[in-house]
Amino acid sequence: MHTVKLWASTTALCLGLVGAAFAPAALAQKKVVNVYNWSDYIDPKVLEAFTKETGVKVNYDVYDSQEVLEAKLTAGKSGYDVVGPTAQPFLARQVAAGLYQPLDKSKLKNLGNLDPEILKAMEKADPNNAHAIPWMWGTNGIGYNVGKVKTIAADAPVYSMKMILDPDTVAKFKACGVMVLDAPTDVFPTVLQYLGLPPDSKSLADLDKATDALLKVRPFIRKFHSSEYINGLANGDICVAFGYSGDIIQASTRAAESKRGVTVNYSIPSEGAQLWVDTLAIPKSAPNPDLAHAILDHLMKPSVVAASSDLTGYANGNKASTTLVSDAVRTNPGIYPPAEVRARLFTITPADKEFERARTRAWTRVKTGR
Amino acid sequence: MNRRPVALFTFLGLGYAFLYGPILSVIFYSFNENRLVTVWSGFSTKWYGELFRNERMIEAAITSLKIAAMSATGAVVLGTLAGYCLARMPSFWGRTLFAGLVSAPLVMPEVITGLASLLLFVGLEQMIGWPDGRGVDTITIAHITFTLSFVAVIVQARLKDMDQSIEEAAMDLGARPWQVFYLITLPLILPALVSGWLLAFTISLDDLVITSFVSGPGSTTLPMMIFSKVRLGVSPEINALATLIVGIVTTGILISGMLLLRQNREKERSAREAAGG
Repeated sequence: MHTVKLWASTTALCLGLVGAAFAPAALAQKKVVNVYNWSDYIDPKVLEAFTKETGVKVNYDVYDSQEVLEAKLTAGKSGYDVVGPTAQPFLARQVAAGLYQPLDKSKLKNLGNLDPEILKAMEKADPNNAHAIPWMWGTNGIGYNVGKVKTIAADAPVYSMKMILDPDTVAKFKACGVMVLDAPTDVFPTVLQYLGLPPDSKSLADLDKATDALLKVRPFIRKFHSSEYINGLANGDICVAFGYSGDIIQASTRAAESKRGVTVNYSIPSEGAQLWVDTLAIPKSAPNPDLAHAILDHLMKPSVVAASSDLTGYANGNKASTTLVSDAVRTNPGIYPPAEVRARLFTITPADKEFERARTRAWTRVKTGR
Repeated sequence: MNRRPVALFTFLGLGYAFLYGPILSVIFYSFNENRLVTVWSGFSTKWYGELFRNERMIEAAITSLKIAAMSATGAVVLGTLAGYCLARMPSFWGRTLFAGLVSAPLVMPEVITGLASLLLFVGLEQMIGWPDGRGVDTITIAHITFTLSFVAVIVQARLKDMDQSIEEAAMDLGARPWQVFYLITLPLILPALVSGWLLAFTISLDDLVITSFVSGPGSTTLPMMIFSKVRLGVSPEINALATLIVGIVTTGILISGMLLLRQNREKERSAREAAGG
């Protein structure tokens, strides 16, 4: 009698445990697609719309740097279906390392909406656009405090890299504050272009010339930092910054919202500016490549991309969506530049190890001013 | 004559201002109407409203709190065992090595711990199929491994302070070793366990580096979320969320402090009674 009871309760317990173990598995049967990208980069509403349309739940995870994404991908089996690498240098070297699967273009009906110019710019990173589609893009250029720059120098060449690289001009803004990105791959090409050299040059002599040009203006630069200039510009603590278009436009929005009389403007240098593209790609280890293709196709619908452009204030790589983007974003020449400015945008290719080392050394010299 | 206390109180005030000034400014600015985090333009609670509408942020906060609670609990259990061994067993084979290994995570750079954990999980997955992908459970395991050393150090210190004759007396009176542990040792080191738990909880809550390495789909924690927001702009919702978390943590610490205070008073009273009677 006793043993029977014991046996029964043990069985019940075991069944319970087995049931508990299987319950989450049953729940997991619901289809899920895992997206890994920057926070607020894809409008949550368009992902909800995707769930409503297809019944597939979207897990949206975020990273705080491209390096974290790269670490996840190289470790293998990241579990993500769609990720958002920047075309240069990340997508380029990750494609070369074979971390992405080729897109099955028969499943992507909306491919025709994409902007051929941006696709062409991406080809340097991803030959034949085989692995990635463009999401948002922007330029590296000049952010400035309109009021202060006008008082200091009414005739300041705000549409030229002279604002940063001409010693006589930048000296005027020293007291007010000048900041520059702390990223050699995003600064040297623009300096080369300003000097009339090929921006993608891999020659050490050209690199030396660019370093000298930067060393001449080094005493007037307050700081090299890749995000501090956003608040600096928005609060009116600095006058001029060389940075990413998205960040400076964000500073401009914040300055306007705070209503303290600070106006921040972004200008694309007339000498030509470096173009960056954030892309979307499917890792080789994606657990659900079919769903990944489905959501990529969804993210190429004009209305969907336009909503995300409105949220981020960035231009997108979807030509069909341009007319749907809100006027404030679409008519801003810093975001959607006119054709003649677009013609002067350039991209760079990855460098070999040796040049990269030389560039890093040169950058350290620039930052320390020696 | 009277000048010394004034100077002392000034330094005390400065010390507290140094510690709590930043936290107070976060609370202050969470009621700021302005979108710029550091520019005051009027009182408003709108960011609290925004925060509660921001599902992703709330979800990340809940994930973080869940991981912190689980890993703090795990770390207290394992850390107590380790601390007890180190304090109560004077010599066993490999003791120095064990002591070194327990405290190694305290001085190990987080990047190394993070990468090592990631490689371990990937390797395990290839060998035995577990863990199947990474997520909340792998983050919790990684957090336990590095927070348990903090708990072990605290518990060990507390045990060293403790009068061992109490345990010996209990054993003299016929208590078995496990009875001694549960009835005598554990209640006496309880304050250390509570502070160890809180410390582990806090460390786990704001860890970014290790978490970034071992996280997987569906396990974005609050620090990851906040750092990711830098790309497109941090909004004052974060101030509101920080204020709420400070509120919760303060309440927790106040309650545990009050309980400990009461316990100490009772202990003193019974000691007095024992001495008097």
